Amino acid sequence: MEDNILLKADSYKISHHSQYPPNINIVYAYLESRGGDYPEQVFFGLQYILKKHLIGQVVTKEKLAEATKFWTEHFGHDYIEKEMWEYIIEKHNGHLPIRIKAVPEGTVVPTGNVLMTIENTDPKCPSLTTFLETILLQVWYPITIATNSREIKKILLKALVRTGDPTLIKNQMHDFGFRGVSSYETSAIGSCAHLTSFYGTDTISGCVLAKNYYSAQEIAAHSIPASEHSTMVSWTREREHDAYKNFLEIYPTGTISCVSDSYNIYNACEHIWGEALHDQVMARDGTLVIRPDSGNPLEVLERLLNILYAKFGGITNDKGFKVIDKHVRIIQGDGVNLKTIHDIVNLIERIGFSTDNLVFGSGGGLLQKFDRDTMKFAIKCSYVEINGIGSPVAKDPITDMGKRNKPGRLKLIKDHDDSYRTISNIDHIDEYDKADDQLVTVYENGKLLQEYSLETIRATCDIDIDRLDFMHIMQTH
Amino acid sequence: MSSAMENNILLKTDSYKISHHKQYPPETTVVYAYLESRGGDYPEQVFFGLQYILKKHLAGQVVTREYLEQGIDFWHKHFGYDIVNREMWEYIIEKYDGYLPIRIKAVPEGTVVPTGNVLMTIENTDPKCSSLTTFLETILLQIWYPITIATNSREIKKILLRSLVKTGDPSVIKGQLHDFGFRGVSSYETSAIGSCAHLTSFSGTDTISGCVLAHNFYLAEEMIAFSIPASEHSTMVSWTKEKEREAYENILDMYPNGIVACVSDSYNIYDACEHIWGTQLHDKILERDGTLVIRSDSGDPIEVLERLLTILYDKFGGAVNEKGFKVLDKHIRLIQGDGVNMKAIKEILELLERIGFATDNLIFGSGGGLLQKFDRDTMKFAIKCSFVEITGIGGIAVAKNPITDAGKRNKPGRLKLVKDNDDTYRTLNSIDHTEEYDAAEDQLVTVFENGKILCEYTFDTIRANCDIDIDRLDSINFM
Repeated sequence: MEDNILLKADSYKISHHSQYPPNINIVYAYLESRGGDYPEQVFFGLQYILKKHLIGQVVTKEKLAEATKFWTEHFGHDYIEKEMWEYIIEKHNGHLPIRIKAVPEGTVVPTGNVLMTIENTDPKCPSLTTFLETILLQVWYPITIATNSREIKKILLKALVRTGDPTLIKNQMHDFGFRGVSSYETSAIGSCAHLTSFYGTDTISGCVLAKNYYSAQEIAAHSIPASEHSTMVSWTREREHDAYKNFLEIYPTGTISCVSDSYNIYNACEHIWGEALHDQVMARDGTLVIRPDSGNPLEVLERLLNILYAKFGGITNDKGFKVIDKHVRIIQGDGVNLKTIHDIVNLIERIGFSTDNLVFGSGGGLLQKFDRDTMKFAIKCSYVEINGIGSPVAKDPITDMGKRNKPGRLKLIKDHDDSYRTISNIDHIDEYDKADDQLVTVYENGKLLQEYSLETIRATCDIDIDRLDFMHIMQTH
Repeated sequence: MSSAMENNILLKTDSYKISHHKQYPPETTVVYAYLESRGGDYPEQVFFGLQYILKKHLAGQVVTREYLEQGIDFWHKHFGYDIVNREMWEYIIEKYDGYLPIRIKAVPEGTVVPTGNVLMTIENTDPKCSSLTTFLETILLQIWYPITIATNSREIKKILLRSLVKTGDPSVIKGQLHDFGFRGVSSYETSAIGSCAHLTSFSGTDTISGCVLAHNFYLAEEMIAFSIPASEHSTMVSWTKEKEREAYENILDMYPNGIVACVSDSYNIYDACEHIWGTQLHDKILERDGTLVIRSDSGDPIEVLERLLTILYDKFGGAVNEKGFKVLDKHIRLIQGDGVNMKAIKEILELLERIGFATDNLIFGSGGGLLQKFDRDTMKFAIKCSFVEITGIGGIAVAKNPITDAGKRNKPGRLKLVKDNDDTYRTLNSIDHTEEYDAAEDQLVTVFENGKILCEYTFDTIRANCDIDIDRLDSINFM
């Protein structure tokens, strides 16, 4: 039943077919982000939804029977549009007669623009368009995560350009969110969305999704051996030193990370890492990344940077900022989100350290603390054809102007200066017909017409360092 | 083969956990961990969702040669070298036929327990598999979500019940908070888990995936929740503004009896209520064998609802109930489905009471505020290792106790959840409560052992367990 498209829509949508005007042939709807704090968004995640839910023979007699029974129990009446679904089985072999156009995945578009349009291709199936709204609108999530991670990347890149080595950007924001999301599926979608801008994750489900849905030939992201509190406290407090020592010994080379705040992070850094194990750390062919996991990050990080620089030494780089000896780094994995990252990089710069010294880890703040209102995503019907005659339609509530939708058929166009805007066949009649639509038909009648690989998507939403200064960077408050 | 990766238990854990087996003290034979909510605003929580996780991810033969090789290969590419605990996994395949040698004890689903108590414990049953306990933390800790949603919905139920008791008819409670969250969650799976969690306290949903989950994972033989025909903006605006009335009339014609909802703010909700519903279609509504529920979907709910209640009472009449509050004619009701969360509900209920209307007049619908706007920090959920056994040393209590955050200290030792004579709960541990501990009756029940589910809860039972006794409403802890 979990794989039945007829059970993937809000209940009320089962009733909509009888509510449209008679002789309606086409229902056309579009997706946009109506605002929010993020100035621009990364379009991502549609391909997953298409492949998972909409491609191929998704309607069968069995599924129709199963759903009819379930819906009838749910409503106490049989409201399902049997005729249409049987027609889809007969005429279209269970493939959905729908066309979806969308901006190529990875494209960065300012909010308030059309990102995707949906319409039925068979005039006997107009209610199908908005039937699919529920499952398609879940694309709000991967778009929001990809967008947020890219905004974080802007902040981190700026800081690295100012104080250190920008080539480190790829691994500077590590995903710790697997346990803190609402389900396995969400972990996979969200972590993959994060990986459109970064290359480090512990949420391996995102790499699985990238392989299965985004043609990732190579592993999409990497991680390193690292400890957690249980592997440290199981040695008991008296043997904290032994726990850390063992850790260095079982990983004699490479980058590793050790959570060090089980009892007293300052003591751990100053006396255990910084003295007792100092030489072992320095002799090691690799980097030990120390992880604090409690306390006010600003306070803790300032103290730790100073302790570690004093104990392990370092250099002042050519930008004038202190970089700790390459054998030691810090990862801040607690309380991390867009705002706190901003605060932390500002702090680090203020106290004269390069942001090279630090890597971030984030869980809920990266993958869970978002919702459809974050970027005000909605799918709205903007155009219908009745008896073959097309007309724009729009809600326009007196109670909220922000909820008015764009009317008519829409195109996304790109001007000479590479900026985007949306035109409609109602408001921009002169331009509309000739305009070159950036939206591409990605799905039609059950087939995927266009596929994007994670590699391409990453390139498309990448950030050009040389243009960082002109980029719109979000205010965080 | 590649699609099976999503079903591979070896790929359902944070990457770093692949490295943990070498980090424990040598000859660690038992690792014992427990789940608790360390605080947050909610005073008590509904335990729910473990059975889904057990059936979906952990029960049965979850480790096979194919999965092991697939996992080793993937992890190798991810780390750049091979660190999987091959020995342990091969042992699990040989000795246990791929079933997980783990014991999970938990409070029965649906039980309501104050925060700060042990809810679930996990330990390995085979001394050769000690790193397995925390390997499973990642997927088990996702239980934060159904617990939080079930808890939040129940807290809202308390508020609604109290209001209904005061101003109207408490028997309408089950349909008073309807789930609109299907589109506003992060994935299909989340929609199913969250909507099912909400349904432990209510019976109305549009997120049908929750009903599917209850059927597949909670032995719900009958439909657990219901809905009604209702319009959306596309089915209204497609008639165009000029034909708004025809659009509404069509709804009444298509559904000549029963409850039906109609979103009415496409252009001007006040005009729609006063002139279209309230005047032109007035008689049709009153003659209809059923209730029209008018849905507002924009504007400040407080402002809009006050005006609408006044307009509709004026147009359709009603009666003052025996508690002294106005109830609209039974042919008309309102549903507020925009901007709804616990705080907004409280404010709206206060408004209704203030202007003399019974809570019966209104139903709530909520999407993101019901199913998405929560996270693991909402109730500060964590799984922490509290006890280990090491050859030559025996059993020892372990606890983190960061100087940088006293709130992150965990309970030490083995734990039991006990229920006192006055039905209150508390947690005992084998370190601080040595005298009581052994004889104490543990409310935690072994639900999973060595790959088998030992105890199943039906959805009916769960609903009964977390139901709210109206007669005890006054002594219940409200947020």
